[in-house]
Amino acid sequence: MTHTNMKLEQALEIQALVDGQLEAVRKPEVQRLIQEDVAAAALALELSALHTVVRTHESALTVPESREFYWSQIQRRIVAGDAVATRKRDSGTILGWIRWLAPALGVAAMVVVISRALIGPVGGPVASADVLTFRSDIDRVTIHWIN
Amino acid sequence: MAKAASKGREPGGGAASGKAAPSHSRNDGLNNPVAPSSVSLSLKHDYTSAPDEALVKWSQGGDTEAFEQLVFRHRDKIYARAMLMMRNEEEALDLSQEAWVKAWQRLHQFQGESSFATWMTRIVINLCLDQIRRQKRIRAESIDQLDEEAGGVERQMPVEHANPTEGLEKDELRKRIDEAMGKLTESHRTVLVLHEFQGLEYKEIAKKVGISIGTVMSRLFYARRRMASLLRGLQRERTEE
Repeated sequence: MTHTNMKLEQALEIQALVDGQLEAVRKPEVQRLIQEDVAAAALALELSALHTVVRTHESALTVPESREFYWSQIQRRIVAGDAVATRKRDSGTILGWIRWLAPALGVAAMVVVISRALIGPVGGPVASADVLTFRSDIDRVTIHWIN
Repeated sequence: MAKAASKGREPGGGAASGKAAPSHSRNDGLNNPVAPSSVSLSLKHDYTSAPDEALVKWSQGGDTEAFEQLVFRHRDKIYARAMLMMRNEEEALDLSQEAWVKAWQRLHQFQGESSFATWMTRIVINLCLDQIRRQKRIRAESIDQLDEEAGGVERQMPVEHANPTEGLEKDELRKRIDEAMGKLTESHRTVLVLHEFQGLEYKEIAKKVGISIGTVMSRLFYARRRMASLLRGLQRERTEE
């Protein structure tokens, strides 16, 4: 076995091998390096040991608040979030209705204005208006021309 | 919101349970319509012994008591994961609670492809990453971090002992690992946590953090060498004793 000063690239490849993320084509060469070089072998072992030990010894911290207090804070945020969502939904619904109704209301208003302009005030002196009437019995159509 | 009578609740848990505005369909969590109140008393769930899958289903139906039980079961793990990332108790508490709120809002998206705990840790890690990004801690590298990126002392150290944790007691080891984590810079710790605890591959970490795969590898390598160095320090202390 030899002992060489590894380059960073070699060290990273050893790490990738330990993590199972080294490209297949590079594996034989890196494995050979680990077998033949003391420093490479030691590094592989160290990385492997750390990999295992860190994974199996995750911090066992506990929430520094009582169950009730911790949950009540979460619950308050959930309720607040739901209230905001409901407000958004409600305002969205109203806006939606306005969006749908606006054109219809516009058309209705125009119809009222036009028909009032054509017919004149309700109950007004219609008789005084100059009216021409055409009636076709064949087509069953009557046309009034109001001046 | 469906709220079944609890039979097996943990002591002291009742005071906090209540009704949040429902964001889910009204049923008993098992896709059955909610029975009238007089009948619903007979639908008693044993929350403490119910598996996570059942609690998730009931929670998806709007049952806050089932969700509270999930919080109770997994809160320490979620908090610990946030602490690992943030190293700040206040932030970790806030982010862990935010993770639970997000989980409640997105419960309908949970299809059970992974375990509930895994799904939750993913949420809290994403929140931590967002927070770190907001604080621009990763990009605003300190002089120390720049030194580490260029090749810190530990990276060039020869490997003295193949297993730097040999002979250490479990609790001692856990404590020392936690301390060592705290001594890593945020950018190195983030990569280490994502790889070791979240089990992400290099390319996944690169995408999540917004760095190249090469940087992921070198940060991970540095973090591990630093950890080895710190753990070795403990071994020496023990030998000298």
